[in-house]
Amino acid sequence: MLQYTIRRLISIIPVMFIVSIIVFLIVHLTPGNPAFLILGEDSSEESIAQLESQLGLDKPMVIQFFDWIKNIVTGDLGQSVYSSEPVLNIIIGHFGPTFSLMILSLILVLLIAIPTAIFVVWKRKTVLDPMFISVSLLGVSIPEFWFAMLLVLAFGVAIPIFPVAGYIPMAEGFGDWLYHLLLPAFVLAAVEIGLIARMLRDGMLDSVNQDYTRTARAKGVKESRVLMKHVFSNALIPTTTVIGTTVAGLLGGTVILETMFTIPGIGQLLIDSIHRRDYPVIQGVVLFIAAIYVLVNLVVDLLYAFLDPRIRYD
Amino acid sequence: MNIKKYNHIFIAILGLFLMSGLIGCSKDAASDGNTDSAKQKPTEGGTLNVAISADPDTIDWMYTGATVTRDVGWHIFETLFALDKDYKPRPMIAEDYEISDDQKTYTINIRKDVNFHDGSAVTADDVVASIDRWRKVSSVGTIASEYIDQVKATDEHTVEITLNQVYSPLLADMAAPKSALTIIPEKIAKDAGEQPLQPEQLVGTGPFKFETWDRGSEIVLAKFEDYSARDETDWGGLTGKKVAYLDEIKFQIVKDPQVMINGLKTDLYDYVQQVPPDLYQMVESDPKMDPVSYINGYSTITPNKAKAPFDDIKARKALNHALDKKTIAEATYGNDEFYHFDGGLFDPEQKELYTEDGTDGYLAYDKDKAEQLLEESSYDGKPITIMFSNSYPRYEKIAEVLKEQLEEVGFKVELEPYEWATYLEKWQDPKNWDLVVVGWSTRFSPSELGMLILDTNSSGWYNSDRWEKLLNQWSTANSREQKKEILAKMNQTVNEELPFIKVVNESTLDAKSDKLKDYDSWVGQRFWNTWKSK
Repeated sequence: MLQYTIRRLISIIPVMFIVSIIVFLIVHLTPGNPAFLILGEDSSEESIAQLESQLGLDKPMVIQFFDWIKNIVTGDLGQSVYSSEPVLNIIIGHFGPTFSLMILSLILVLLIAIPTAIFVVWKRKTVLDPMFISVSLLGVSIPEFWFAMLLVLAFGVAIPIFPVAGYIPMAEGFGDWLYHLLLPAFVLAAVEIGLIARMLRDGMLDSVNQDYTRTARAKGVKESRVLMKHVFSNALIPTTTVIGTTVAGLLGGTVILETMFTIPGIGQLLIDSIHRRDYPVIQGVVLFIAAIYVLVNLVVDLLYAFLDPRIRYD
Repeated sequence: MNIKKYNHIFIAILGLFLMSGLIGCSKDAASDGNTDSAKQKPTEGGTLNVAISADPDTIDWMYTGATVTRDVGWHIFETLFALDKDYKPRPMIAEDYEISDDQKTYTINIRKDVNFHDGSAVTADDVVASIDRWRKVSSVGTIASEYIDQVKATDEHTVEITLNQVYSPLLADMAAPKSALTIIPEKIAKDAGEQPLQPEQLVGTGPFKFETWDRGSEIVLAKFEDYSARDETDWGGLTGKKVAYLDEIKFQIVKDPQVMINGLKTDLYDYVQQVPPDLYQMVESDPKMDPVSYINGYSTITPNKAKAPFDDIKARKALNHALDKKTIAEATYGNDEFYHFDGGLFDPEQKELYTEDGTDGYLAYDKDKAEQLLEESSYDGKPITIMFSNSYPRYEKIAEVLKEQLEEVGFKVELEPYEWATYLEKWQDPKNWDLVVVGWSTRFSPSELGMLILDTNSSGWYNSDRWEKLLNQWSTANSREQKKEILAKMNQTVNEELPFIKVVNESTLDAKSDKLKDYDSWVGQRFWNTWKSK
């Protein structure tokens, strides 16, 4: 297990190197000049050339790439073209809101999806099951931005329970933090709730008629205990993978929602940086997101072994 | 049991529940009545939340002419001279001035006891250092600099500017609200040099001082308690008496116009900028919101004069006669509150610069004439490209209608939309386009008309002895009559040589809460002399 973990950690290096090459090429081959954008449309060719030289954009691309990689190895992601701040500080500054949004969404997903799936399986022979399928399908199908608009109009404007936009860091008060984040977190969670509840329900229904479940029932174990001990724990293993991809999905979903709810997170930072052609920040954010994806995958794989002792990686 | 039936009922209930929000909104919007209260006594204090649509690159108002920088910057900084309500230069930090008989020496007296936000008082050395920096970093200052021989402090409150030749727009340039001559402490001006001011260097003399800047989120300004106001009350614009009633202004960056409007409705914001004109009715009909509109330059179509077919004046004239500007405006702006037909290079409100003389050819729509001129021109029938940025829906719309109108007279046309950064890059190379559609913000002097700067991409490589001569005449004109005459000739030149074609004057729509009182807009938002009711 330890060997496997180390092997997986080492394999992250080539993945990240390939990601860095791809993101560097895409960013630098996309038309658009940061110096021109900073100086505006009235600027002269001389002033643009001068600023390009200050920003190091007049060097050959290969040199720019290796300078960048060399700095990354020493933990320096470079400086923003737009604000001159270190990229790492910018990413850390913007990760708080994104992380808050993701965690709160994940909590909502788990709190709603798991009990719902268990309840539906328990009441599987009633009308609840087909109703649940319809609603979960609706949850998966509704576009996030549209759902967000509806909820904002309903619970932000018509019945003003929640603010329509904004973000308050947790350090300034847990209540304010939750009050501002609950609506976007629920929108973000909606898609994943449908997905995970469906996965768990399907997995549990598979287990319901397995031999070990029948044996348990034959031994006189109560139905609720059968469901929790035998059915639920077996169905949780495939669901873990989906929860892993959920974290990745939540990260992607924040890009749209951060703009819609004016949350100063990583998603909004990435969009703004693309508009500004702030190369070091775009590259830094993409690498950062890639690193999270890779690490989440690793954690999911390791969790498998923890949840199911039959799985061994050695 | 009919399961399908239950599914339908459930979905219907869910739909009704979700739609209740929309119904609630439409009811709000339908209610009528504007509540502009009678004159009340101003209330001091409070925080004003302003939603702005973009995060500035810098708040250094001298360094860039960007609108978003200006919107924040002119609360922090002030200039030696500033434009009043009628766009006339008046002293601001300057007390008065004298011009020598040969018009080459300007002696400017500075008001005593004008305080910087760091507690120091403005001296002639601060003004000299600020002018020196302005000559290097400001797009307006670099033009003026060509005429300046020397700037020196003759005593603690007097500055003398010597010119190498007569340049009458000097005061107007020093008062330009674009890349402005902001007065900052000498040390900061020298330390910053040609770099934009860093947040800790944002020290001015304005009624509000810089507090914090959380990039991408908000910029906070606080009332400057030691502000040295002028005595006059009726100058308006950026000069005259300024009173900061508010304790704090928070400029919050909000990208989505719908979020802005929702935020205004629910008291999250007190003022929101750049609302799409489509939402005008919604703003106007809501008793909690008041629309605010002000001039914001004009939309243009620029032909590329560096290559065929528009290097040929006949092709440009064919283009001009093919344009039905009324149809373009109706299709683009919808509500006629937001566009005005006017052929002048400046806006009618800019009384010092506006004249309608020389604008006869502005509405030249004549399809037959366009067809005939196109026939006579060197146009060879190959498709021409109209380039525009799809980051700005109004210019996208103009380009689409333009394509139709040009095809009606015999042009073949291809549209080339790009996102703004890509558009700017493509713009630099004459090979990439034949026509561009873009808007230009309000300018304050003929030398600032970016779309006419000779032989550059922004002018579509316009090269004209006639225009150059007029600009030179402008630099020495010193009487009002002479200036009006030159401005009329400038209008005439643009209408005859067609370096660009003006579509319409554009107005911007902002919206404010009805709690914001005695508010007076100019070419942007100004939050002094205004207050917030409880």
